[in-house]
Amino acid sequence: MSVQYTERGQGSAIADFLSEHAQVLSIAGFFIVCVVFFSVMASAFLTPVNLLNILRQAAPILVVAVAMTFVIITAGIDLSVGSQVALINAVAAIALSGGWLPWPFVVLAMLALGALIGLFQGWFVAYQGIPAFIVTLAGLSILRGFALYLTQGYSIPIPDLPGFLFIGRGQIGGIPFPVIVSVAIAVLGTVVLSRTVYGRRVVATGSNTEAARRAGMPARGTIASVYMLTGIASAVAGLLIAARLGSGSSNAAVGFELQVIAAVVLGGTSLFGGRGTILGTLLGALTIAVIGNGLILMHISPFFTQIVTGTIILIAIWLNTRIFTANFRFGGKRRKG
Amino acid sequence: MSTQSQHGAIAGPGGVMPSGSESAPGMTPRISLRGIRMSFGSIEALRGVDLDVYPGECVGLIGDNAAGKSTLTKIISGTYVPDAGTIAVDGEEVRFANPADARARHIEMVFQDLSLCDHIDVMGNLFLGREVARWSFLDRATMKTRARAMLDDLDIRIPRLNARVEKLSGGQRQAIAIARAASFDPRVLIMDEPTSALAVAEVEAVLRLINTLKARGVAVILITHRLQDLFEVCDRIAVMYEGTKVAERAIAKTSLEDLVKLIVGKGEAI
Repeated sequence: MSVQYTERGQGSAIADFLSEHAQVLSIAGFFIVCVVFFSVMASAFLTPVNLLNILRQAAPILVVAVAMTFVIITAGIDLSVGSQVALINAVAAIALSGGWLPWPFVVLAMLALGALIGLFQGWFVAYQGIPAFIVTLAGLSILRGFALYLTQGYSIPIPDLPGFLFIGRGQIGGIPFPVIVSVAIAVLGTVVLSRTVYGRRVVATGSNTEAARRAGMPARGTIASVYMLTGIASAVAGLLIAARLGSGSSNAAVGFELQVIAAVVLGGTSLFGGRGTILGTLLGALTIAVIGNGLILMHISPFFTQIVTGTIILIAIWLNTRIFTANFRFGGKRRKG
Repeated sequence: MSTQSQHGAIAGPGGVMPSGSESAPGMTPRISLRGIRMSFGSIEALRGVDLDVYPGECVGLIGDNAAGKSTLTKIISGTYVPDAGTIAVDGEEVRFANPADARARHIEMVFQDLSLCDHIDVMGNLFLGREVARWSFLDRATMKTRARAMLDDLDIRIPRLNARVEKLSGGQRQAIAIARAASFDPRVLIMDEPTSALAVAEVEAVLRLINTLKARGVAVILITHRLQDLFEVCDRIAVMYEGTKVAERAIAKTSLEDLVKLIVGKGEAI
């Protein structure tokens, strides 16, 4: 008797592609549905002016969400970004109104301050083993408190410095400068996450910290560094907001951290670490901005926007954990046992 | 101490001299452990262990569960830092503060839990911690070519190198962990239960691999519960019991029955 050996066939490449990119494809689909829905429901929605307005409003969220994607990929979280934005916002306004330094140096100093704050929190998380949730919850309170204390709760006006105000109000070729900054940071984040050794370390640490350490990767340093990224990104966002409004306030960016985390999670990044894309985060941030803008254009109460945004986040996480795990397959559901 | 065999004598408090030590005289051991102690809280995982492994030699490390085999190998690979004792590589005393130090000395280990990153693809896991990079950008083309060569070398069949490891079978995952440890010119290779999830043909491939590496002068330490495998690749067997090395036997001078007796603490009878 002869024995027949056959090789197992390769599965369809399209099915592989779909299951590999299910997260990004689903948020992309949802984003398109939102855009179409609001275009039909509100005539002012699909106009160049309004679209640029959405992008400008989404810019600070997107900048921080890119960094937050790195943090959440390491299975961490940074709840303090809103307070960091407020602190940078306030300190920048105080420094500029006091005329301590020329404005470009103030910008650099704020970026350095953001990095320092992030590194400080990252040290507690990575080297002292305190859960990121606790460290950054404390940071949320402490940093907002500093901002309030420094400003005594007042809004600090920024003097007329055309160079600095350009950061928030300027345009290059009709595109608002904050949009250019945020897109550039998103592109940079994409390249770093998927193409560099550092990005590989971030994913490996989030996927299996002990395996990364055993493979000789500096796992702790990597974890500390991602909080530095959110610190720097929060500084950028704080400067964008300060330059746009022409003032610094300790009450800036209240609830900002929730919008940022919502954008990242909506984009399919797993809270358990190891899995996430910047493209998904970009689509998540834009979806949240589009929903907020669209509902206002439909003359729906702004209070209702919060309810809708929260509901969408809940549904997104539900899909994320229930459907896109091992039991999900394209092309027909598996029978329940 | 009931584990004391007829050849042995108590060397110190808690330390037991192994019986029937067989070492090649005149050669410097590739790796040499002396008086290794390690405690986890109140539990003394290792109570003064000596072990020498020579180049081109395979030492089988056997013992009951919780005998200290994995702890000992994790100390050699730098994963744990011992409380006391010395490690020497090629006669030079070393101190491993973390796994990167051991890796820099070409000490590689296949961990029992495999230590793979599920969300990273096959070639990413093969090159984990030593990515090929130009200006810190990953050189995926080079890694892909070399990953394919690494797997072909070991007769490992994995169709898609860019599939994430979480999608692979237990055997394929184990094969990747072995390929990763064996392919970067190791000088000491430690394998903790490398064949537990493997099929017959793959076990044969791993045993062949061990013999190939031995021929190249690699010192191999093999932990396994499949005692019959030891007789195919090992030169010596070290038996652990309750955190000490109770016996060391040349493979030619022992038998499966003797090893079983040594493992379960009935070594006095032989």
